Amino acid sequence: MNIAGIGIVFNRGRGLPALEKALEEGWVPPTASRYSVSDDFIKDRVILKEMRRADTFSKMACLAAHDAVADSGLSVAGKSSLGIILASALGPYVTTFRFLDDILQYGDAKVSPTVFSHSVHNAAVSYIALCLQSRGPTLTITQFSQSFYQALLLAEAWMLEDRCTHVLVGSAEQCDDILEYVCRQKIHLAEDGKIEPFLFSESPKAVPGEGSVFFLLDKQETSGKYGKISIHGDNGVQGLDMYLLECSGLTGDEAVYRNDAKAGPLISSYTPLFGSMMSGIGFSCAAAALMLKNQRYYAAPVQSNPHNAPLCGGHQSAPLNTIRCISYGCHNEKMEFTLKHAHG
Amino acid sequence: MDEHNEQELAEIRKVLKELLVTNLNLEDIEPEQIKDDEILFGQGLGLDSLDAVEIVVLLQRNFGLEVKDMKEGKKIFYSLDTLARYVLENRKQ
Amino acid sequence: MVISGMGVVSGCGNNVHETLDNFSTGCRKGGPPSLFKTDLPYPVFEVPGFQAGDGTVMRTFELAVAAANEAIRESGLENTLLAHRVGVCLGTTVASQLNDVDFYRAYRNTGSAPMHSVDRYLNGNLAGAIQQKFHLSGPACTVVNACSSGTDAIGVGISWLRADMCDIVICGGADELNRVPLCGFGSLGIVSDSLCKPFDKDRSGLNLGEGAGILIIEKENVLRKRGREKEFCISGYGLAADAYHLTAPRPDGSGLEAALTHAMNEAGISPGQVAFINAHGTATRDNDKVEGDVLARVFGSKVQFLSTKGYTGHTLGAAGGLEAVFTVLGLREGWIPQSIGFENEDDEIGIAPVREKTIINGNYAVSTSLAFGGNNSAIVIEKE
Repeated sequence: MNIAGIGIVFNRGRGLPALEKALEEGWVPPTASRYSVSDDFIKDRVILKEMRRADTFSKMACLAAHDAVADSGLSVAGKSSLGIILASALGPYVTTFRFLDDILQYGDAKVSPTVFSHSVHNAAVSYIALCLQSRGPTLTITQFSQSFYQALLLAEAWMLEDRCTHVLVGSAEQCDDILEYVCRQKIHLAEDGKIEPFLFSESPKAVPGEGSVFFLLDKQETSGKYGKISIHGDNGVQGLDMYLLECSGLTGDEAVYRNDAKAGPLISSYTPLFGSMMSGIGFSCAAAALMLKNQRYYAAPVQSNPHNAPLCGGHQSAPLNTIRCISYGCHNEKMEFTLKHAHG
Repeated sequence: MDEHNEQELAEIRKVLKELLVTNLNLEDIEPEQIKDDEILFGQGLGLDSLDAVEIVVLLQRNFGLEVKDMKEGKKIFYSLDTLARYVLENRKQ
Repeated sequence: MVISGMGVVSGCGNNVHETLDNFSTGCRKGGPPSLFKTDLPYPVFEVPGFQAGDGTVMRTFELAVAAANEAIRESGLENTLLAHRVGVCLGTTVASQLNDVDFYRAYRNTGSAPMHSVDRYLNGNLAGAIQQKFHLSGPACTVVNACSSGTDAIGVGISWLRADMCDIVICGGADELNRVPLCGFGSLGIVSDSLCKPFDKDRSGLNLGEGAGILIIEKENVLRKRGREKEFCISGYGLAADAYHLTAPRPDGSGLEAALTHAMNEAGISPGQVAFINAHGTATRDNDKVEGDVLARVFGSKVQFLSTKGYTGHTLGAAGGLEAVFTVLGLREGWIPQSIGFENEDDEIGIAPVREKTIINGNYAVSTSLAFGGNNSAIVIEKE
C-alpha cells in the first residue's frame, strides 16, 4: 500500500510541519503530568463547520483524516471507492464518563441524548464521512494495543478484494484525569514526564498522551512522496536502515524489545514526543514516513541507553530507504510493518 | 396577558436563549442575538432532530416539563416564543 | 465463503433449537429489566435463565462464548480448531466501553475507585478474549460500528478469508443488556414503553435486548478437506455510509440502497432472486420508514420480509450476528416466522412484513443493518 497523505494532531500541534518541528527539536517535558492536545489545535471553523456538538475525540479524528486527504492532493473525497477505518483502543471514553455524570446527576430519564450519541465509538467516523461527503465503507475497530495494526490489515484486505481503491486508516486516543488515575493504578508513570524507550525495562514508565493520526493509503504501484507500507513478507533485516520501537511504558514489560535492539539496524523511538497511547504505533508510523520523505534521520529524542543499542543519536540527512515499525501487545504478541521509500 | 405574565414570559425567553446556546453548542450566536420569535428548526436557528430531543431533556431538567408526544412537540418547538409560552403555561409552580 | 456452524443466545432462546420453537409459535418474552435497577418504564429482552458467572468477566463475553460453543460444535471443529489459522471478528457496543456506573460513582465521589471493573474491561476486549479463550492464532478484531457491528464483523471475516489472512473465522456479534445504553436510547426518544411493533403504523420505538449470534465461516477448500459438504455460504457483503447525520438515517435511504446493491452484485444476483429479507426493523419511526421505502424500491412491494426485533429486542452489536443466523435458519427450514408485533400497515411506508409463519422458496436471502452514525450494511446468504 502506498502512503499518499498524512494528517496528525498531537500535543505539539496539528499537521506535518508540527511533527517535523517536534522531530527536529526533540523532547520537551509535558506541561502537566501527561501530553494533552490543546484546544487551540482543534479549532477549525471551516473543516469543523458541521460539528458544533462534536467532542474532542471526534474533532481530533476529523481534522487528522481531513488533513491526510488534503496532504495527498488526491480528489478522493465523495468517492464510494474510499474506505475509512478508525482504530481506537479506548474510544471516546471521556464522553462516556460525561454521560455517566448525567446519569448520576439527573437520573436515568434526564440524560443528554447529544452526549450519549457522541459516546459511541463510531461517532468520529460518522463525522469524518460527513466532512468528506464519503459514501463508501466506514468502520471503527477497537483492539487495545493491536488497534492500529488490525486496521492496517483490514485496509489491505479491502484493497485486495477491490472493495476500495483508497483507504483512510487512522487512530485516535484521548486522555483525561480519570484515565491517568487508572494508569497510576495499573502501570508506572514517569513523574519527570520522560518516556525512556531504550531502558527496555521490565517495569517501564509511561506518560499518557492523546491525539489522532490518519494515513490515506492507495493501491498505486509506484511509491509517492512517503513510500509504501507492507505488513507481510520478508521479516529479515537485509537492507533495513532502522527499527522504530514502540516502547512507551504501556504494556508492562519491555524487555521483549531487547532482541530487536540487537538485531542489527539502527534503533530509534519517538514515543517520548507523542506520549504513551495504546494505538501509538500509528504516530510512530507517521514519524517514519516523514523521515523517508525528508531523507533525514531524526535523533531519538530520549537517549538513555544502558543496553548499548545502536541508537539514532543525531539528526542527519542521508539516504534512508527502509524503516520497520515494531510493537508488542499485552500478551507479547509481535506486530510489525515496514515502510519503504520510493528508491528503496 | 397581564403585565406580570409579560414580565415572566420575558424572563423565560431569556433563560431559554441561554439554555439553547449553551446546551446545543450553538456557535456564532449570543443568547441576546436570538429573536423573541426566532424559528428554531430549519431556516431559523437551524436546529435538527437531535436538538429537539435535547430540548425535551432541557425542559425536564429545568422546568419539570415532560413532552412525550413529538407531534405535540412540533407545535411547542416551533419558535422560541411558542416554547416560552408553553413553559409559562405548564411549568410546575 | 462457506458457513459451517452457527450459534445463538437471545431473549428468543438459548440456542438454535429453542429459537426455532419460539419463532414457530410466535412467542416473545419481553419484560422489565432484572439485571439492573432503573426507574425507566421500558420493557427489555433478557436471555431467559442464562447462567452468568461471578462477574469477573463481562456478561457480553459469556454470551459470546455460549453462542460460539454452539457454532463450533455444529461446524465439527471442537477438536481440530487449533490445526487451522482461525481469526475472530466480533461486533459489540457495551463490551467496548468502560461504562461501569459504580466504578465511576466511586471515582467521582472519592477520587479513587476499585480496579476490578477496569480489569474486567481490559480483559474483556471481545475478539481478544474469545481468541484467548479458544487459543487461536489468526487475526482478532472487535468491530464497534454501533448497531451494524455484527454484520460488519461478518464482512471483515469475509475480507480476511479472501485476502488469505486466515482459513476460518469466528464472526458475528454479542452485547449484554446494560443500563447505560437504555438511558441513552431512552433520551433519544426512540424506546417504546410497550413491546415493539416493527413496521407497524402505530410503532412507538424499539426495545433493547441482549444476546450473541455467531457464525463459523471458512474457505470452501478448507471445508472440503475436512470432509464436509457446503450447505450455506455468504455470497455478498456491502457497507456504505450515509454521510448525513450522527443519529438520523439519510431520508432517501441511498446509503442502505448502495449497501444492498453492492452485496447483491458481489453475490451475482438480482433482487428478484431474493426469497426474503431479514430487515433491521427496529420499530423506530425513522428506521422503519427509510428501510421500508428502500426495500419496496429495490425489491418491489410484494417482497417477503420480516423483523426479528419483535422476538429479541434490539441487541445492538449482537443484532447483525443474530440476524445472520436467523437468515440462514429461514433458508434451511424453508419458513420464516411472523414478523411479530406487526398488525397494521403504515400508509407512509406502503409495504408490510409477513403477518404469519411463511413458507420460503428460493436460494438467497438478505439481512440488513443500519447504524447510528449513518452506517448501512447488508449480507447475502446463499443456499446450495
